[in-house]
Amino acid sequence: MKADTLRKHIDLHGWLGMLAGLALFVAFFAGALNMFHEELHHWQEPYVAESDGGEGDLQALLDQVLAVTPEAAKLMYLVPGDDPVALWQDADQEWQFDHASDFNAAGERVKKPRSELAEFINELHYKLALPVVGLYLMGIISVLYGAALIGGLVIHWPKLKKEFFALRHQGNLRRYWKNLHNLVGVISFPFHAIFAITGAAMGCFALLALVAGTLVFGPQLQGAITDATEAWPTPQASGESVAMAGVEAYVAAARAELPDLRVDWIELQQYGDRNAVVDVAGSVPGWIAHHAHVVLAGDDARTLTVTSPGNRPFNHAALSPVYSLHFGDYGGLLVRSLYFVLGLLGCLLFFSGNVMWAERRTDRQGPSRSAIIMLRVTLGVTFGVMAGLAVSCLANKVVSHSPWAGAVAWSEKGAFLAVLLLTLLLALRAAPLAMCRWGLRGCIALYLLVPLVQGGLEGFASWREPHIHLVNTALWAVAASLAAVEWLRVRRLRRAGPHPLWVPAPPAPASEAELASS
Amino acid sequence: MRALLGTVLGLPLALMLCGLLAAILPVDWRQWLVLYLLLSVVLWSALITLAALPASHWRTAVWLVAANGVAWIVLQTTGLYGAAA
Repeated sequence: MKADTLRKHIDLHGWLGMLAGLALFVAFFAGALNMFHEELHHWQEPYVAESDGGEGDLQALLDQVLAVTPEAAKLMYLVPGDDPVALWQDADQEWQFDHASDFNAAGERVKKPRSELAEFINELHYKLALPVVGLYLMGIISVLYGAALIGGLVIHWPKLKKEFFALRHQGNLRRYWKNLHNLVGVISFPFHAIFAITGAAMGCFALLALVAGTLVFGPQLQGAITDATEAWPTPQASGESVAMAGVEAYVAAARAELPDLRVDWIELQQYGDRNAVVDVAGSVPGWIAHHAHVVLAGDDARTLTVTSPGNRPFNHAALSPVYSLHFGDYGGLLVRSLYFVLGLLGCLLFFSGNVMWAERRTDRQGPSRSAIIMLRVTLGVTFGVMAGLAVSCLANKVVSHSPWAGAVAWSEKGAFLAVLLLTLLLALRAAPLAMCRWGLRGCIALYLLVPLVQGGLEGFASWREPHIHLVNTALWAVAASLAAVEWLRVRRLRRAGPHPLWVPAPPAPASEAELASS
Repeated sequence: MRALLGTVLGLPLALMLCGLLAAILPVDWRQWLVLYLLLSVVLWSALITLAALPASHWRTAVWLVAANGVAWIVLQTTGLYGAAA
C-alpha cells in the first residue's frame, strides 16, 4: 500500500475513533456491567433472606393487571421470575409495568418505589441514557465505529503477526499506548466487528428502513419488514369476548411443541377476544441463534405456528443471531463472562485510542489546545462514568435502606450525573497525570467498596445468594481490571518519562533578565 | 469533513447498491431482507472509509453525489421500486 494511502487510513481511523470513542467507552463499560442485567435486577432490590427463589404465578399477575387495567389486554408481555413482571401499553401507547408484588392480597395495585439501576445501566449502554435521540445517535456512532474498524484492519493487516507480540516496555509512553491499543484491538477484532454491525443495525434500523423505503423498495417495504421480523401478524380485535385457555395451558402447549424451550416471555395480543394470539417466546439451548416462538390461539391454545432453530424462514434465521451475538446470551455464564472481559478491554481500546490521537496531534503540530482538551475530556468522561456508576450503586444501597427509600431511582441517576460532571470539571482543571493517578485509584476504591457496603447493609449472608454473588464478583473484577491498568501505568512511568502532553509546560520566562538568570 | 460526507451520502448509496444486488439476484428480496439491511450497514461503513481516500473534500463530494445519481438511475431500470407484492 502507498504511504500516502496508509497515512489517510491512519488519519481516518484516528478521527473516527476520536469522534466515536467516548460514546463507545460509555456503551462498552455500561454494556460490560449489563452482561449481568438479570442479576442486577435482583441486586438492586433490598435483599430478602426468606425468598424461596421459585417462579411467581403468571396467571395471577395477568388476572390482577387486567382487573385494574382492562386496556392492557390489547398488548401485554409477561416475564416469568420469582417476582414476575407484566409490561403493557396504556391508552397513550406508553409502556407501563407491574410486578406481582405491586398487588396486595385484595388484588389492589399498591405501587411501591423501585430502583431503576439495572434499567439505567441498560439505557446508558444503548442510548447513553439520552431521551429520543440517544438510540439513533448510538446507531450512527456504531456505523462510524465500523468504519474505524475497517480502517484499523487495512492499517494492521500487513503486520498483524508482528503486532500480536509487540507489547514492549521500552521506548516512550506513546509507543506503549500504541502497542497496547494494537494488541487489544487485534485480539478482540471479531468481537468488535459483531458489535459494530449488530449495534448499527439495531440503532439505525428506523433510518435504514426510511431511506430504503424512499429510494429502493417503495411503500411495499413496510409490509415486508413486518413479515421479516414478526412471528405472527398483529391480530385485530373481533369484539367478541371468549374464555381464554390460560397461561399454564399456553406454556404446556409450547413445551409440547418444543420440549427444551426455556420461556423468556409471553406476548399476549387482544387477550379475551376471539382473535387473541399468544406468543410463547424463549430459547432453545445449544444454538447461537437460540430464539424460538410458539404462537398459539388465545382461546384454546392451539398452535398457529412454531419458529425455532432449524425451522424458520431465512429472515428470522438471520435476525436471531443479530440479537444473540450482540447480547452474548447463547452460551451461559462462560460466554457472558467472556463478553464482560472483552467489554472492559474495549474500554481500554477506546481510552488508549483517544490518548494516542491527542499525543499524535501534539507530536505533529506541537502543543495544541485541542489535544490537551481532548486528553482532559477523555480522562473526565472515562473516570466520571466509571466512578458515577459505582456511586450510583452505592446510592442504591444507602438510599434503599434509609427513610428516603422512595427517592432511590432519582438518587441513582442524580449521583451518576453529579459525579460525572464533577469529575469532568476536575479533569479540565487538574494536571492530567495526577488526574489519571487519582482517577484510577478512586475508581478502584469505589468498586471495592460497593460489595462491602451492600454486605454491610444487607448482611454478608446475602453474598451467598447467586445473583448478588455474581454482581459483587463482577464489581470486584472491574476493580481488579483497573488495578491492573494502574500497575501497568506506574510501571511504565517508572521506566520512561511521560509524553509532554501529560505534563503541564513550565511558565515561559517573562523577561530577558529571567532568561539570563535561568 | 470527508468522513461526514461519507456518512451522509454513503447511506443512500449503500442501500441503493444493495438494492441493485437484490434486483440482480434471482431470489425475492423479501426472503433475505434482514441480510440486505445488514449488508447495507457493512457497505455504509466501507463507503465512509473509502470517502477518506480522495485528495480533497470536493472530490469526495463529487464522487459520492455522482455515484448516488448513477445508482438511482440504474435502480429505476429495475422493477424493484413499488413492484407489486
